[in-house]
Amino acid sequence: MNLIDIRNLSIELQTTTKPILAVDRVNLTMKEGEVRGLVGESGSGKSLLAQAIVGVLDEKWKVDADRFHWRGNDLMRLSAEERKAIISKDVAMIFQEPMACLDPTTTIGEQLEEAVDVEQLSGFFWQRRQQRKLAAINLLHKVGIKQHEVCVKSFPHQLTDALCQRVMIAMALARRPMLLIADEPTAAMESTNQGQIFRLLASLNQLKNMSILLISHDLENVTHWTNTITVMYSGQFVEAGTTEQIFNQPYHPYTRALVDSSPKANRMIPNKSRLMTLPGSIPILQHLPIGCRLGPRCPRAQQKCVHAPKIKNFHGHQVSCHFPLKDSYS
Amino acid sequence: MSEVLLQVINLSKNYKDKNYWFNRKCVAALEPLSFDIMAHKTLAIVGETGSGKSTLAKLLVGAELPTTGHIRLNGQTLAPGNFRQRCQHVRMIFQDSGTTLNPSLTIEQLLDEPLRLNTDLDETERHQLIRETLQKVGLLAEHMSFYPHMFSGGQKQRISLARAIILKPQVIILDEALASLDPSLRSQMINLLLDLQQQMGLAFILISHNLGIVRHFSDDMMVLCKGKVLEFGKTSAILQKPQHKYTKKLIMSQHFQLLHR
Repeated sequence: MNLIDIRNLSIELQTTTKPILAVDRVNLTMKEGEVRGLVGESGSGKSLLAQAIVGVLDEKWKVDADRFHWRGNDLMRLSAEERKAIISKDVAMIFQEPMACLDPTTTIGEQLEEAVDVEQLSGFFWQRRQQRKLAAINLLHKVGIKQHEVCVKSFPHQLTDALCQRVMIAMALARRPMLLIADEPTAAMESTNQGQIFRLLASLNQLKNMSILLISHDLENVTHWTNTITVMYSGQFVEAGTTEQIFNQPYHPYTRALVDSSPKANRMIPNKSRLMTLPGSIPILQHLPIGCRLGPRCPRAQQKCVHAPKIKNFHGHQVSCHFPLKDSYS
Repeated sequence: MSEVLLQVINLSKNYKDKNYWFNRKCVAALEPLSFDIMAHKTLAIVGETGSGKSTLAKLLVGAELPTTGHIRLNGQTLAPGNFRQRCQHVRMIFQDSGTTLNPSLTIEQLLDEPLRLNTDLDETERHQLIRETLQKVGLLAEHMSFYPHMFSGGQKQRISLARAIILKPQVIILDEALASLDPSLRSQMINLLLDLQQQMGLAFILISHNLGIVRHFSDDMMVLCKGKVLEFGKTSAILQKPQHKYTKKLIMSQHFQLLHR
């Protein structure tokens, strides 16, 4: 059964003049135990999509979807309270800058104890305190922090970035979620620390069968860790498929450019040669092109591209383009 | 081409702990190191946080005084504290372009400042030079009257680059300047930097932890760890045959991500 099934999700920003369509009909499906990468450059609406799933967007944003199912339940039909009960039980999210997300004025231990669920505690009220402490320490052990005595007593600024991110993951695990949304968990981290965090997420995925939605702006960083990838550009769905399909045979010109522009992925290109790039930059929200938003930058754009393309499906490899690059691979 | 542009001899930096009067503790941020850079070449400096790469950048640009050693540019010693001489030749671009531009100045005023402080050009000449420089980095002359918040991240980084090259320097230090950019903007920026290097004969010192960029962009490479130079040599040679355990670990941690693909 699909864990999450989203069809044609749109997110509109309500402004005084006219509403801005920040996310335009995006599809996302996840199976249980899957690691899906959500890739897009800044301003592509990937964080908005994640926030819409968790339901933390405020009144300014209007979320609309043809289908928004969580394990078979239609979330759009439920009331806000029911929805919150389901989501807060099953979905957890970790954010970009772990240091900024933790409370700087309280110790790690107290923050972790706060996250521990009451339902997991058993026993009389005088035993609860001790149990909470033990549960917090257990959570730290789960994310691979062995010296829990030091960690529990310290404040966020006393720990390194990678340790803070581990604490964040520990807090996310407190309610044993089925889906973990990781919004750029390793941004501004060093490669060795990045590896640690990704390995931790991968082990959680394998041991606890937890699904992970890994959001990143860099395709090359996530390819090793994901089973499937969804690519977004400027609020529109671009391409989705398995990691091999996306990385080895991208059908969309934008994905092709992303793969080509990464010097890490193409070890064959000579030193100091020019890299393949798309001209121009990402359009700002106030001036979005009509139709396919890649249009003005796309090397294969034709007149048809002023109409938004329908999503084509080639054996599970979905692409939203009038002129996919399918024929260029024989 | 064999002419040495920048020569660094025995450069080191110690920080003293000022709390104790007697037996003051000394923290060696950077142990003595020497290297040369030619024009048209790029030196990449790789290492973890606390390895002294930013200290090295600060020493080169003159923001910190070295404990020992000296820096020579075209055979001339750069005196510590002589900023007029130094900032014409050695410029720096920082990681976060959004915060390094003064939000209350227009682009013209921003770019005018180094010219007024360092050159004797009159107003029309300065205006002309700003116009040319903006075009060189791929912006329009109309952008002169814009404020920094009106630009996207990639364009801001271009403005920092314009500010760096406007004095026609010989060395540019890129302190993680490419790390926070989106991939497509990053490759645009790399192309631009490579073009400028061709045209102006710049030498770059690239501080980065993305080995993919380092491999593509640099000629020589230096691996720093805790202020010590572990390896120094041609980039291709080091990346193919890393000698030190630390370098191997660093390369493994990035390259395993793309294995089996």
